[in-house]
Amino acid sequence: MKADSNKFPELNKTKFENRGKEFKLGIPVTNAITIGNSVAVGFGDGTVRIFRSGQISEVIKAHSGVVLSISKDGEDILTGGDDGRFLKISLDGEINEIANFGSRWVDHVTAYNGSLVCTSGNIVYLWMPNKKEPKLLEHESTIGGVAFDSKGRRLAVSRYGGVTLWKKDYSNKWSSSNLIWKGSHNKVIFSTDDRFLVTSMQENQLHFWRLKDKTDSFMSGYGAKVKSFAFVYDSKFLVTSGSNEAICWPFDGNGPEGRKPICLPYVGNKLVTFVEPFPNENAIFTGLSDGSVFLSEIEKSTNTIIIRSFTESEVTTIAVTEDCSSILIGDIGGNILWTSIWDEEEK
Amino acid sequence: MGETNKQVPVTVLTGFLGAGKTTLLNRILTEQHGKKYAVIVNEFGEQGIDNDLVVDADEEVFEMNNGCICCTVRGDLIRILSGLMKRADKLDAIIVETTGLADPAPVAQTFFVDQDVADRTKLDAIVTVADAVHLSTQLSDHHEAEEQIAFADVVLLNKIDLVDESGLEVVKERIKKINPFAKIIHTTKCGVSLSEILNLDAFNLKRILDTEPDFLTSDHDHEHDDDVTSLSFVSDTPLDMEKFQDWFSKLLQTKGQDILRTKGILDFTGENDRYVFQGVHMLMDASPMGKWPEGKERNSRLVFIGRNLESMNLKEGFENCKSA
Repeated sequence: MKADSNKFPELNKTKFENRGKEFKLGIPVTNAITIGNSVAVGFGDGTVRIFRSGQISEVIKAHSGVVLSISKDGEDILTGGDDGRFLKISLDGEINEIANFGSRWVDHVTAYNGSLVCTSGNIVYLWMPNKKEPKLLEHESTIGGVAFDSKGRRLAVSRYGGVTLWKKDYSNKWSSSNLIWKGSHNKVIFSTDDRFLVTSMQENQLHFWRLKDKTDSFMSGYGAKVKSFAFVYDSKFLVTSGSNEAICWPFDGNGPEGRKPICLPYVGNKLVTFVEPFPNENAIFTGLSDGSVFLSEIEKSTNTIIIRSFTESEVTTIAVTEDCSSILIGDIGGNILWTSIWDEEEK
Repeated sequence: MGETNKQVPVTVLTGFLGAGKTTLLNRILTEQHGKKYAVIVNEFGEQGIDNDLVVDADEEVFEMNNGCICCTVRGDLIRILSGLMKRADKLDAIIVETTGLADPAPVAQTFFVDQDVADRTKLDAIVTVADAVHLSTQLSDHHEAEEQIAFADVVLLNKIDLVDESGLEVVKERIKKINPFAKIIHTTKCGVSLSEILNLDAFNLKRILDTEPDFLTSDHDHEHDDDVTSLSFVSDTPLDMEKFQDWFSKLLQTKGQDILRTKGILDFTGENDRYVFQGVHMLMDASPMGKWPEGKERNSRLVFIGRNLESMNLKEGFENCKSA
C-alpha cells in the first residue's frame, strides 16, 4: 500500500473524487456488498444498484420499502426488506423471491456455499443447498444479527441475553449452545480465524468470547453505539466505530483482555460511523458522520489520507472490490462516490 | 431529547383490551389528511388495520445494562424506528399501539435512553383509550391500567354513551385522582379530531410552560399504598440549586421505581432562567428555558405521579431545598 501524504482535509475535492464518479441520489444508502469487482448497493427506497467499473449503475426495483440487509451467495445478491421479502438477485437483475413474511421484516440475511439464511423476528430460516423448505431455528427474543464461521459449520445468532451458537454435525443436524451476557446484542461476527466471536450491544460497548474456552469480556469507553466493526489483517485487529477515533483492539494472541487499543484520530473530531478493512493490509477505511472518508494504516497513524471530503451526511457504507482496484462510499443523504483507489501509475 | 424539526413525532396509543384502540387507529388512518403515517402494531391486535405501512412488532422489553434497575426499553421499537428512519419517503408521524397489558414506561424510556431514536424521532404524546364502562374495574384489578392512565397526556374516555352521567363522573374522578394533568376527552366510538391527539408535543419542555394550569396543587385523600396518585408542590421562595439537585437525584435513584412521572418549573436563587424538567421513573430531561416573563410572579412548581408517594417525605424534601 502506498500512502500518499499526511494531508489535512480540504474543502476542495480529493483526487479520488476527481477521478471517480459521484452520484447525488437523495435516497438513503443502507448497505452494500462486494461481488467480485462489482458492488451491489441497497437503498431506503427498496432499490438495489449495481456498480461495475467503467459502467453506468443499473437499478433493480427489489423491495417496496427499505433494503434492511444485504449479503451474497456466490455471484448472487441476497437482500432482506421491510416489505417482508427475502430475495436472491442475480447480477443481471433477475429477482427470485425465496420467502415472503408480509408485514414482518426480514432483518438479516447471510449465506454459506448455497446455504441461505434470513431472520425475521426471533426465527432463523435456513435453506440447505437445493432444499425448498427452510429449517426453522427459534430463539427467545428478536435476533440482532447472524453470522457463519469461515467453514460454514457454525452459525452465531445474537439476541437479548447473549448469543446462540448453532453447530452442524456431519449428518447435517444442528444443535445449539448458549454464550450468555446480560443485555441486548446486535450485530455478531466471527474473527477471520474463527477463534473469537464479537457482538455489539445496545449499550455503547462490544462483547467478545474466546471460543476455545468460552471466556468472555467487553470492550467499552465508546461515546455512541458501535454499529460498524470488522476484523482486519488476519484478525490482528478488530476495528470499530462509535467514537471520534477509529478504535482498533488487538486480537492476536489471547485477544484484547488487559491490552490497550490503538486509537486513530481524524481531523474534525467527528463520530466514526463506518469502518471497512483494506483487504490483506493492516489498514482501514474510516467513514465519519460528516461524510468524510479516510484511509489509515493501523500501526502507522501518520499514514492517513483523505479519500472523500465531507458531504454532511453520515457514511453508512464502504465497499472495496475484490481486486482492491475500486471503492464505493455511500451515505445517509444518498451521496455515492465510486472511484478507483490507485492512480494509473500506482497500479 | 433535542428539538430539531427533522424528528418524526411518535404517538403512543395505550389502553386496555376492548377500550377501542383499533377503532381509533383505523379512524386516524382513514381520515382524509394527506399524511403518511407508519403504524407499529402488536401481534395481539383486536382486528385488522388498514394501512399500507403497518409493522408487526413483538413487545420486547429490555433491561439496560447501566446499573439502573428500572431502566427498561422497548428493543423492538429501537429496531423498527431506526429501520423506518432509513426510508426514502419521509413519514409525517409514527403511531405505536401497545398491547392491552403493556406498561407505557419502557416505551417512553426508549426515547430518553437510545440516542439514535432520540436523534431522529421524538415522543409526541401518550394517548390512553379508556372504556368508560369497565375502567373502574380494570383499575382495581390490573396495575397496568393504572400505569396507562398515569402516563397519559390525553385520556380518551370512550363509550360514554354506555354509562349514565353519575357513572361518568365516578370514572372521571378516578382518572383525575391518578393523573390530574391528563386532558380527558369524551368520545363514543373514538370520535375525536386528530388535532386533539396527534402533534401535541406533550414531551417538549416548552409545552410544560404552556400547560401551567396543570400545576395547581391537587388535593388528595390517603389511598392504599399500591394506588397510583399524584402530589404537587409550590414554593414562592427560590430554591437552592445544589440542595435541589442533591435531593432530587437521590430521590429518583432510590424511589424511581415508584415515581412514574415528574414535571416541574423551578426558580433557583441567583438564576435568571426558568428551569424546566420532566422525568419518567429515573430518567430525566431538564433544561433552562429562558428568562421568567416580566411582571409575572416567580415560583417553583413540581408534580409527582406514582405509588407510595406518601412514604417519600416529598413535602419535607422540597421544603428543605428552599434557599435560607
